[in-house]
Amino acid sequence: MSITPVHYIAVPLAAAFLIPILSKFHKETARIIPGLVFSYFLVISFVLMRQVSNTGIISETIAGWRAPWGINLVFGYFSGFFATLMSVIGFLTWLYSYRFKLVDSKPAMSYYILLMMLVTGSIGIVITGDIFNMFVFLEIVAISAFSLTSFYPGRDGAEAAFKYLLIASFSSFLILLAVLLLYTQTGTLNIAELSTKVHLIPQSLKLTILVMFVVGLGIESELFPLNGWAPDAYSQAPAPVGAVFAGVVVKGGIYATMRVMFTMFDINEMGQILLILGLITTIIAEVAAIKQTQVKRMLAYSSIGQMGVVMMAIGIGTEDAVFAALFMMFNHAIIKGLLFFSTGFLLHNSLTKTIAEMKGVAKKFPVLSFMFALGSFAIVGLPPFSGFWSKLYFLMAAADAKLFSMIALVLAVSIVEIVYYFRVVGVMYYHQPDESLPTKQPGLNAYFVMGFLAALIIGVGVYPDLITNFLHAAAYELTHKTEYVQTVLTQFVR
Amino acid sequence: MNTLALILLILFSGAIVAFLSEKVSKFLPSLIAFISITAAGILFYTSPADVFNFKLSMAGLNFTLKIDEFSRLFVHMIIGLSWLASMYAVGYMQNKERQGTFFFNMLLSIGGMLGIVAARDLVSFFVFWEIMTWSSFLIVVWTGADFRRTGIWYMVFSAMGAYAMLMAIMMIYSDIHTFNIDEIIAAIAEQRLPHLVEASVLLLFGFSVKAALMPLHVWAPNAYTQAPAAYTAIFSGVLSKMGIFGMALVLLSMLKFANPADFSLVYINGFIGQILAWLGAITAAIATLYALIQTDAKKLLAYSSVAQLGYITIGIAIGTPLSVMASLFLAVLHALFKGTLFLAMGAVERQAGTTDMTKISGLIRRMPWTFFVTLVSIISLAGVPPLAGFVGKWMLYEALITNGNVFMVVVVFFSSTAAFLYSYRILFGIFLGQEEDDTAHVKEAPLSMILPMVVMALLLIALGTYPGLLFDPIAQGMTVLGFENVTWQMTVLSNVWGNTVNLMYISTTIGVAFVAALLFLTLKGRKGSRNVGTKDISTSGEIPLEHENLTYQLDFFKPFERAASPLYRRKMTKIYDDLSNGLDALFDFTRKIYTGNGQTYALYVVIFLVALLIYVQNTL
Repeated sequence: MSITPVHYIAVPLAAAFLIPILSKFHKETARIIPGLVFSYFLVISFVLMRQVSNTGIISETIAGWRAPWGINLVFGYFSGFFATLMSVIGFLTWLYSYRFKLVDSKPAMSYYILLMMLVTGSIGIVITGDIFNMFVFLEIVAISAFSLTSFYPGRDGAEAAFKYLLIASFSSFLILLAVLLLYTQTGTLNIAELSTKVHLIPQSLKLTILVMFVVGLGIESELFPLNGWAPDAYSQAPAPVGAVFAGVVVKGGIYATMRVMFTMFDINEMGQILLILGLITTIIAEVAAIKQTQVKRMLAYSSIGQMGVVMMAIGIGTEDAVFAALFMMFNHAIIKGLLFFSTGFLLHNSLTKTIAEMKGVAKKFPVLSFMFALGSFAIVGLPPFSGFWSKLYFLMAAADAKLFSMIALVLAVSIVEIVYYFRVVGVMYYHQPDESLPTKQPGLNAYFVMGFLAALIIGVGVYPDLITNFLHAAAYELTHKTEYVQTVLTQFVR
Repeated sequence: MNTLALILLILFSGAIVAFLSEKVSKFLPSLIAFISITAAGILFYTSPADVFNFKLSMAGLNFTLKIDEFSRLFVHMIIGLSWLASMYAVGYMQNKERQGTFFFNMLLSIGGMLGIVAARDLVSFFVFWEIMTWSSFLIVVWTGADFRRTGIWYMVFSAMGAYAMLMAIMMIYSDIHTFNIDEIIAAIAEQRLPHLVEASVLLLFGFSVKAALMPLHVWAPNAYTQAPAAYTAIFSGVLSKMGIFGMALVLLSMLKFANPADFSLVYINGFIGQILAWLGAITAAIATLYALIQTDAKKLLAYSSVAQLGYITIGIAIGTPLSVMASLFLAVLHALFKGTLFLAMGAVERQAGTTDMTKISGLIRRMPWTFFVTLVSIISLAGVPPLAGFVGKWMLYEALITNGNVFMVVVVFFSSTAAFLYSYRILFGIFLGQEEDDTAHVKEAPLSMILPMVVMALLLIALGTYPGLLFDPIAQGMTVLGFENVTWQMTVLSNVWGNTVNLMYISTTIGVAFVAALLFLTLKGRKGSRNVGTKDISTSGEIPLEHENLTYQLDFFKPFERAASPLYRRKMTKIYDDLSNGLDALFDFTRKIYTGNGQTYALYVVIFLVALLIYVQNTL
């Protein structure tokens, strides 16, 4: 049996059924099976990426129904980049949280299943070739994300999950409405076919659909002012889930935005709006981040800020800008992952999770603190860490588009970013610990995960060619949609 | 393998090894740092000059590194001073905690500096610049005292400078799609760079931060003071010169070859050069005033460094052959004497526990070598013959007068005179005066610390008589900048008005007088004298008791301070404090957009949706 994209979805669904049954016999299976699934994801990603580099975009129809009627899965460089990134982050999160004691009493079976569904749903978003199917996966992600947000019992978690639910329901509603309108106007739900038919839609209706997508997907990709849910969700979910939110869930939202804006429509229609929205998002998020007292909230706002810059790059819309956006997302996934993972243990037993409680932790956790500091240096874009290159490429793309005032503003808020990250590092290293919180030392698995991410940050920072070719191919594929459309449509005609 | 790449690799991998080796032994990092720098130095001085270039294509960008004659001057400074400072650091850092971090960052910043002077494209320039910045930041906060005021300020100002540079780099890129400095120079000559004025101003802004020019200097005094002395020598001695290097790159290298008919160039070279020179002069004057009122020797030297960099900036900004030469001469000298002074103060701090001039006195007998090197470097700093500081000042005055900047001469003359006062204060405050019982136990620093200081002091003495030793590499470097045929003589200074100063004559006279006085005193001291302590004195016919100390160190310059007090009232730091408070309030206001209320967020979504729909339907 050869590996095809459908394994991304079929395998975890099967596993999800098996877990409750098998865990009756052995408790540990609830933890181990998701790990096996994530490992298999890595295998699929690897095999499929090789296949793409040999034969081009893979399009697979499901259940024998051909493209316009059935659902098809498309796996090219662009989708592959996201799927691989999500698989890696999912696997690392699973490995990291293997011994992470989530709740004192409850066996954390649901945690692993939800984590698996979250990643599966996100991968589903990026590999599907059908807009309605994408909506379904967005819903799967949202439901898993609500549950993980309210994972810890208590008022705060429930409140955060409720806010998330409230705002995300707007998102679902708007996306569904947009999909509906598209279907009534063109009679198809296939993304490739839609891209050849959207010009048939009357201009004013098309703009309405676009606005619905911008707002609906903007909620998922944390655009201002639609991102009120995000800081609460990040800060209430278990720390490793923060890494998944930043590295997987948001990426799903951004992927959907890019797919809709570039493949289905033409980016020039909404580019300016995305650009300005991204800029405002960045400025407000970074400004809000500096005023936070809780570390995870600070990281959440920082994530929003980064996504704002990504959205700006998408708004610029050139191939170089898309490349920069992908590079930034890659960096954001690995660096934010490292930051959330290290925070997870640094504040493991803290109830309030404030920055003040990190006083002098460097004495107790030299390695973890080093990881956090490394992440901070990387995320503010200091060379020789990977964050520098993506920032450079973004600025080059913006300079090509002559957006100097935007460059100036982005650089200005970068200074704000430096202040709040370095302030935390300063607290960790240069303050005397005033009380002794009970500490929990991370296990070998957590060290491995963080070490891997740190090595990746430094490796890509010193030698960016490790991934740039790959990202260039992905950016090329997205900005030149002919191959994507052709591959899917030839199948459809046959 | 390419020699230049190998040198950088030695330094950067040495940094990592030093960091890790702390686990093995506390002593090891300092040794590894010393060995790495020695190896880099040997490699640099044993290889032929033409091997130092290196091209690398990565990530779709071309990186070019090359050491030309001008960079070579700076490489001498970097390697020389770093080598001596790392030798010193072996003794200085003994028994201190977290040495691994210190030496890691020290080697990184040295490698960063070498990268900067070798960079021939703006991206690698920026990369090395940032590496240098954050590694020096980590050393500044290494002691951990006053993280917010010192560390964050240093980082914020550096980031402002760096991002201004990045902005300029991006403007240049958007015009000509290259980062290569040679191609940029060619483009300037062909007037293909519409953003030239903005980019130059932004670049100069970035470099001014590192050179601690007014009003961007506020980070410097604290940062220089906080960093451990072994590093402050490098920090103030060569790292701050990277700002000068950058200014030279922009003002002299990039714009020198440009078409003189281009209005914007005239504008930059004339108008902006003048502004920069004036900023340098004002920096020199004000920093000198602040140096006068410091009671901590290290902080005094920190302010003095800011002032000295002001002079150096003037020379570069004026841009005549003589002024550039004077400026580069002063730059090298400053590395030598300020390096020595910071190392000497480090020795005092290590041996006596503090550098507060109101707390210690009379160390001359305890630390004679340290006293000797301090004396030599202070004479150099004050610009008194027969030491080399005189040569630099002489040339700078001449350059300013011939260029018509007479008012600037007045300002520079004022601050250089005032520099006498604070230099004397260091000498007196720490080494002279009566001995105290608290400092009776103080011993001279170990040899590994004395040796580097003495080497630098001897260099200063040699350059005082033979400044030509230094003129030679400077003139060669200036050829690269387009100043052909700069004339210089080994031991004679001459100016356009036909005056000449024979330094050989001066030093011989002073030397003879010194030897004669020494002989006279020694011979006379043979008979009829007795050894006395510093407290064995009588004043106004009264004999003070043992515990009475007649050394006046508190309010040393009280009358002067009273006279100059209006000048101290306005502080740049206060303006920045107000600014940051204002921003803080603004941020707090903005943050309140996130109310934490789900209904509000839902309302935002609806309002946004409606607004966007209306906007889109009406405009697109």
